[in-house]
Amino acid sequence: MQIICISTGIAERSIQLANLVARNLGYPVRYREQLLEEAIKEGIHVGKLETSMIKPQIFTERLALEREYYRAFIVTNLVRTAMEGGLVYCGRTGHLLFSGISHVLRVRIVEDETARLDYVMKKLNLNHSKARRYIESVDEDRRRWGLSMYGISPEDPSYLDIVLNLGSISTANAAAALVNIAQLPDFQLTPASKRALEDLMLASHARLLLARDKRTFGANVKVRADKGVVTVTYLPQDAGLAEVIGEVLSALKGMTEVRTTMASTNILWIQEAYDPSAETFTQVAEIASKWNSAVELLQFKPGAIQEDAAGEVLAPTSAANRLSSAAGGIEEDEPGSVCEDRGMMTTQDELARLGLSGGGRVVCGEAEQIVKSLDRTVAYSLVVVGDMYLDKGHSARLRLGRQMIGYLSGRMRAPVVSADELKAQYLFGRGDLFRMAKYMGAVAVILLLVFTYQEPILRFLIGADWKSKLLAASGIFLFSPLFAYLHGNVAKSVMKLIRME
Amino acid sequence: MQTVFGDMFIALSFSTALQVIILGFIGGVLSGFIGSGGAFFMTPGMMNLGIPGVVAVGSNITHKFGKAMVGAKKHGELGNVDKKLGIYLILTSFIGIRIAVWINSLLFKAGGGGHGEGGASATSNLYISLVFIFILTAVAVSMLRDSMNTKNKDADQGPSRKITDFLARVHLPPYVYFQTADVRVSIWILMAVGLATGYLAGTIGVGGFIGVPCMIYVFGVQTAVAAGTELYLAMYMGAFGALNYAFQGFVDIRLTVLLYLGSLFGVFIGAYGTKVVKESVIRIVTGTVILLCVLSRGIAVPVYLSQLGWMSMDDRWNVYLNGASKVMLFAAGIAGTTIILYNVAVTYRQRRRIHQRLTAVKEPSSPRAVSISVPGEAG
Repeated sequence: MQIICISTGIAERSIQLANLVARNLGYPVRYREQLLEEAIKEGIHVGKLETSMIKPQIFTERLALEREYYRAFIVTNLVRTAMEGGLVYCGRTGHLLFSGISHVLRVRIVEDETARLDYVMKKLNLNHSKARRYIESVDEDRRRWGLSMYGISPEDPSYLDIVLNLGSISTANAAAALVNIAQLPDFQLTPASKRALEDLMLASHARLLLARDKRTFGANVKVRADKGVVTVTYLPQDAGLAEVIGEVLSALKGMTEVRTTMASTNILWIQEAYDPSAETFTQVAEIASKWNSAVELLQFKPGAIQEDAAGEVLAPTSAANRLSSAAGGIEEDEPGSVCEDRGMMTTQDELARLGLSGGGRVVCGEAEQIVKSLDRTVAYSLVVVGDMYLDKGHSARLRLGRQMIGYLSGRMRAPVVSADELKAQYLFGRGDLFRMAKYMGAVAVILLLVFTYQEPILRFLIGADWKSKLLAASGIFLFSPLFAYLHGNVAKSVMKLIRME
Repeated sequence: MQTVFGDMFIALSFSTALQVIILGFIGGVLSGFIGSGGAFFMTPGMMNLGIPGVVAVGSNITHKFGKAMVGAKKHGELGNVDKKLGIYLILTSFIGIRIAVWINSLLFKAGGGGHGEGGASATSNLYISLVFIFILTAVAVSMLRDSMNTKNKDADQGPSRKITDFLARVHLPPYVYFQTADVRVSIWILMAVGLATGYLAGTIGVGGFIGVPCMIYVFGVQTAVAAGTELYLAMYMGAFGALNYAFQGFVDIRLTVLLYLGSLFGVFIGAYGTKVVKESVIRIVTGTVILLCVLSRGIAVPVYLSQLGWMSMDDRWNVYLNGASKVMLFAAGIAGTTIILYNVAVTYRQRRRIHQRLTAVKEPSSPRAVSISVPGEAG
């Protein structure tokens, strides 16, 4: 089930490369153009999707649904091919398709600038400057496509394993290099990666079925799968679809249960072990219920972290250099890195009972694996980082937890908080009561003063000469935001109290 | 309406103060719902209470300044503000605001309404009303047309692309690249949009209805970044507008404070409403409310024409027309707010049931979670 994704711009030599690699490994090869034709036959408006993503235009709700349909179709097709015995895919942003699947080899091909120009000039019969502008627009379109489709720039190196410059290496040698790299243990199937791939297949297939059915085509849903359990999150405006979704997915092979959750946003809760009877669960569920959010669980098992005598964290230990079998058998998971369920399933069950389940997954490794495993087109309204590094001492746990929060804050467009901060920031407590009373008092005093001394204040605001006018203007400039701040805090506290903020 | 200092500041009875708070609340709900500042409702609403137009605009723009500061901070935390784009637009919007304040002051004085003097502010009221009617009719019609189009399954293009396509073909260097918004825009177009936004914000207190669509349709910015950047821009425009109008003596701080009392609560409820109401319903409600506000302003226009002597009309009609304008405005605002509040209340009750389940002994499953087990193969 090995997958090799070759992402490229202008494609002639890259296609040759993909063909060579596929022939050497005995895998089928698929191309973007093939998939586009199949998607068009499927009825997906690929042309409109391309145009809307690469030109400045509003991305409408309808086009968002087409995007999801397209992604589900492409991923289902490719994973199905891969599961039959491996796959080489040559496309524009293929390396972004399989986020979180560890045995995928992601290759970016760059070509010599002169060679690209010559190719375009010959193929399209353009002069030098027009060919250069064409290449620039192709690269820009590719970048916009990646950002719109996956929320990730195709140039982001953290999503690539290898970059090959075909200007400095022949196609045959590049293919040989890739074949050898593909044999490394790092890119072999493991039980965990096999499970992740199966979950991806299940989720994509479910999404595809929902897109194909007329009753659910217009529903803006997110689908996740974990060990046969499919979780479908839909918006409140599609509230009538809960039963229909179950009907549409009832024939889905490999699914043991479907859970539907109505939510307009998502909360991501990252923790090493879960307990539905813990205080954090109650707080997260309360916030999710207030905000109409689905709670997505991400059980994170940190990679082996070693520290030197000074307590500095060393680079994580690399995977063991064991040779894989020639037949490409499934590698064993690393000892100690088996990502067993630590309360995640029971917590998911409890969330489902409350109508808040957004699915879950297990990620092992370093913090960047968390970011890579996420669908960057999903909007999270909050990220909660709970207890992690449980095998460390208290101070190490605190320090590493803060580092994790700092790392995620820089990469996610949502507030990232620790479980300890949840109550203080998002739930109404005694401190909020005192603060509310304080701000209310300040607002009341200001109102009393403004309305008791109306005439002198208005006289002052009119101002007789330019100095008094300037003073009046400055006074208003300072007073207005101050009152907005004070009264804004009162309003915020009241809304928090009645669970409506 | 009884005034103090000539034509400027009205005498505030308890009922008038309450009406201003309600105006602020409805404006806040609509503002949180639509994503604009709410001035399209609050400015004409205050004018219906007998407040001179220029004081209504000045007080509202001062209120907008503080509100935008609070909102911009939140958007900034989410990374939705392109400060560079905001700064480019701010520079030319300040010029637009200056022009607007100058015109408004000139017309107010030409109408005989200097501070402490007698005389009507009919000229500036008429001018503000006409600009309001013209601009907001275009906005409302465009919104309603788009919401009708999206009901057509084949119409997936959304709002008209004509402007975007035309500008994409026109080559107007120099261009500036904005990283957060991820767009390249001609500096001439930036200046024109900034000028227009500032002028309209300074004239009728409405900036978001122009700024946000321009950023989305003309520049190609994503909606969230457009909304966040507009709030950032509104903060500075509000500050500059507040300074200018306050310097001219056109800010009634009592009105600003009363607007805050209502609007800062309303915004939360309106924003909550966006989660529970369908996108197409949001557009239809918004477009309809705006059109009714425009109609209410239109009803008041003959009053100003009569005051200026440009139209002969029995003075007794003034009371009826002003009354009708006020009723229509409040009816529009209350109807729109009621729809939003109804949906919010229904959802809120659902949430409370789930919350009670959290704190009580285990009970049967929530109605919004349907867990269906499928016998057969496991993964």
